[in-house]
Amino acid sequence: MSKPVIALFPEASFGSALNCVGIAQQLQRQGATPVFLCHPGFNGVFTEYGFKEYQLPASPSAKQQTEETWQAFVTAHLVHFNQTPTEQLETYVAPTWDAIVDTAMQVEEGLQTLLKRIKPDGIVLDNVIMFPAIANAGVPWIRVVSCAETELPDANVPPYLSGMAADDPARPGFERAYLDVTAASHQRYNRFRKTCGLPPLPDGQYLEASPHLNLILAPSAIRHDRAAPLPAERFVFLEGCVRKEARFDPPPLPVNEGPIIYLSFGSLGAIDTDLISRMIDTFATFPARFYVNVGGFLESYSRVPDNVYLGSWFPQPSIVAQTDLFIHHGGNNSYCEALYFGVPSLVMPYCWDGHDNGLRAAQTGTGVHFQRDRWSPQMLHDTMSTLLADRHMRDHLGQISSAMKARSGSRRAADAILQTIGISLPR
Amino acid sequence: MQKVRSNTRQNHLKLARQIVDFIAEQGLTEGDHLPESRLSEACGVSRTPVRSALKVLENEEIVQRRAEGGYFVSLAPEKIAVDGLARLEEVEASLAARILNDRAERRITDVQSISALVRRYDVPRSAVLNALKILSADGVVTQLPGRSWAFQPILDTPNAIDESLAFRLALEAQAITAPGFKMDSQKTGLLRQQMETFLQSSDGSMSAVAFLHLDCAFHSFIAESSGNRFAKGALLAHHRLRLTTQKDHTIPDFRLRQSLEEHLDILDSLERSQHQLAADQMILHLRRSQIRRPQTVNRGILPRMRGAVG
Repeated sequence: MSKPVIALFPEASFGSALNCVGIAQQLQRQGATPVFLCHPGFNGVFTEYGFKEYQLPASPSAKQQTEETWQAFVTAHLVHFNQTPTEQLETYVAPTWDAIVDTAMQVEEGLQTLLKRIKPDGIVLDNVIMFPAIANAGVPWIRVVSCAETELPDANVPPYLSGMAADDPARPGFERAYLDVTAASHQRYNRFRKTCGLPPLPDGQYLEASPHLNLILAPSAIRHDRAAPLPAERFVFLEGCVRKEARFDPPPLPVNEGPIIYLSFGSLGAIDTDLISRMIDTFATFPARFYVNVGGFLESYSRVPDNVYLGSWFPQPSIVAQTDLFIHHGGNNSYCEALYFGVPSLVMPYCWDGHDNGLRAAQTGTGVHFQRDRWSPQMLHDTMSTLLADRHMRDHLGQISSAMKARSGSRRAADAILQTIGISLPR
Repeated sequence: MQKVRSNTRQNHLKLARQIVDFIAEQGLTEGDHLPESRLSEACGVSRTPVRSALKVLENEEIVQRRAEGGYFVSLAPEKIAVDGLARLEEVEASLAARILNDRAERRITDVQSISALVRRYDVPRSAVLNALKILSADGVVTQLPGRSWAFQPILDTPNAIDESLAFRLALEAQAITAPGFKMDSQKTGLLRQQMETFLQSSDGSMSAVAFLHLDCAFHSFIAESSGNRFAKGALLAHHRLRLTTQKDHTIPDFRLRQSLEEHLDILDSLERSQHQLAADQMILHLRRSQIRRPQTVNRGILPRMRGAVG
């Protein structure tokens, strides 16, 4: 029997892309042939992990997008990142959904062609929108929910991207505002689905649950008690899904003492060099070693303190495993990695489900969160000290970590995927 | 006085390196005796400096002194060249290395006065001058008119690493195809052995730093073997710069292994005297290393200028 081919299609973000790498590594170990469908901007990422890539054709408009366009985008959005989740609905969430719908429409034809060529036995979609070519491919498709659990609505679960509690009195107002700002893109998307032969989705939703299998990253420690539980035969919780990375030996620093603190706001968050610079100024006076992911902006920094190391990229699971405190933006992958390795989180969200995870960290005693623009050096100093000294939190995280490590998420994902496509491979 | 001490220390370290090379080349293994007379003859120096160098190696547990007299090798052959040299490099964390490291990690700016360096490192002026001379010999710093020194470009950012790869693409294949390319077969065997040992390590246990050492050793060896003296000189200096300043933890385990396999394929072709093929393989190898991670991505989209975004 030839090896089953599983096509993985992550969205163009590192969290999702590398989460899929973790699943693909396990599928490969279990005898399948994982391949990647990738956005033009992600060309080469999966090859470096040893997987075959099929690139989606770039649309003419995407080809025209230049470095200057990106810089303008960054400049325009920096101020929005300091807004509350409700304020961001209009300034960030609505235009982002608009652009996501554009992407889905632009790649449809190319995706159909690619899938006909690859002839996969199953498709793994780790995204926030349905690409009709996938639903129409005639093979089982698997949805990966690599965002926070809030992506799957429920009366007991906080509204997606709200950063609020499920029983927050402001909830109805947020939900109304969300539907208002997304109405135009949603209608446009539903019209597009109709032309592709797919039924419309309820207001505010861009991706349906898979009729075959849905994999959810959120580990049990942070899961919500749902009013309508998800049927276990179609919804599998993974207890995280951490990929294997190259070993990381933290470079020794001129002042090489104290606990290790790792900061990463993800590839998008690294654009806020002012925020990171201000934090570094505080780090200089704190008795710890700091490893800071500054993305593509290394050249924006000079006079780095002797207890700080800047890198343009870190093999995150390898460094989080050695870290005493992880400062991040609440990206679901980062948060899950912190839980997997039993590391407290200091969450400073700037958009999307980072808000949801920030609150969830505080609610579940796995970290604290504060707004990016509302902190003082003393507050940051005190928060880091408190988190490093919190024995109770550390013990709690230790238990979560042991439970997650005992149930390999990527193994569970690969088993469920192979079972769904009806293939049983020898172990 | 300080300068003399510092130079003496440098000489002992240099000799210690020569002894490590000698152990590797002679295929000596754990427990083998190292007669001082033989070392003295091989390195072309008297026994006194040899003893000092052996002392350095003893401190790093590369050799051991036994009661019955003399020094003996205390590392397995496959560890000598990689671990032994790496340990010596740690010893060489001299002021020059500290200055260079601080520059690479953006702790100091690219123009430095001697007095600023004296203050930062709390060392005598002569020590700073000596360190700058060492760096100057490697072309890492140049003296400006007056009392300041300027750092030359180093491999401290992704853009710099890109430029380095472009430079190597222009030269490394040429270094192979130039008439007179000649490899030392013993060194070839050693390098091959080190890379094979590295490849046998378990998934995820390969360290990026150890890889960089081996990678620079391989590419320096290719440069050393070149028949073109200018290509050789430029590439050797560049690989020294890479070794001391390149900070790249971004390479996944798969690519590290693939790179080592590519090195072995290049050595295979060179040993068969297929120089043109080896040169093509070198280009392929460097081009693969050139593939960059994307820097600008967002949730599901490439940034667009529309609506409220603009």
